[in-house]
Amino acid sequence: MDQKQFRLVHDEQPDRHVVYIKGELDLAAAEQFQRTVEPLAGDASKPLVLRLEDLTYIDSTGIGMFVALLKTRHQLGAPFAIENVPPKVRRLFDLTGVSYFFSEMNDASERIGGQS
Amino acid sequence: MKEHETIVQLSIPADAQFLDIVRLTLYGLAAKMGFSYEEIEDMKVAVSEACNNVVLHAYNGRSGDIHLRFEMSADALSIVIKDEGKGFDYKRAIKQAASLSGKPLQDVKVGGLGLFLMEALMDDVRVTTKGGTEVRLTKFRLHGEGEHAHDCISPSSVQEQA
Repeated sequence: MDQKQFRLVHDEQPDRHVVYIKGELDLAAAEQFQRTVEPLAGDASKPLVLRLEDLTYIDSTGIGMFVALLKTRHQLGAPFAIENVPPKVRRLFDLTGVSYFFSEMNDASERIGGQS
Repeated sequence: MKEHETIVQLSIPADAQFLDIVRLTLYGLAAKMGFSYEEIEDMKVAVSEACNNVVLHAYNGRSGDIHLRFEMSADALSIVIKDEGKGFDYKRAIKQAASLSGKPLQDVKVGGLGLFLMEALMDDVRVTTKGGTEVRLTKFRLHGEGEHAHDCISPSSVQEQA
């Protein structure tokens, strides 16, 4: 499997939505990301978890979409978390200041359990 | 042009689906020059940000091209990203270019992040807006370990498209 090819896998579990984001999340992948994840972000009945272990590239396009999700979930008062962030992606989150919001949201949504 | 500089040029349609080709080309050239994995990852993001601006803002929905010029010298790689569009308002964008640190979530705007990342990830960023926009991104080679790798590039290196 091409590691750069962008793919999303939605795993709907009884107690949460988990979305695995794989490959390169760039401007070309933005529409597919929004189409899949936005409806899930609007479902306040379950926590939303993005799993990033196979995310091989992100830039301001993807970071901007993550921030939009943070805002949506915050307004809904619904838990949202990102998990398994690769070091190079973490570095960009730290550089742009996005990490702060994720840790804050994660603290507020500690009850998201069942990490595999 | 500086002495001992090798130039590779690439033109792509200003369409997001070709941005991975830019990153692949950049990866190949920067690896040949001996840049580290982290430095190459930084450059990939910075160059993509400049290309994103062309795709989103330069041609107002009309078709157009992105011209990339990779200038490889002994101590630096400069990537010039040029379009012939109406021009992205960099002066305005620079004022907004900042990290999101310390802002309340509801006040966060991501508009300036691309330019902020270009500045943060490259050693030098220059923007010229005259008959389109030209962004010149430079990364200096601080370590000597790539010296040998660079030697294998002959001055008559491939010009993918003039």
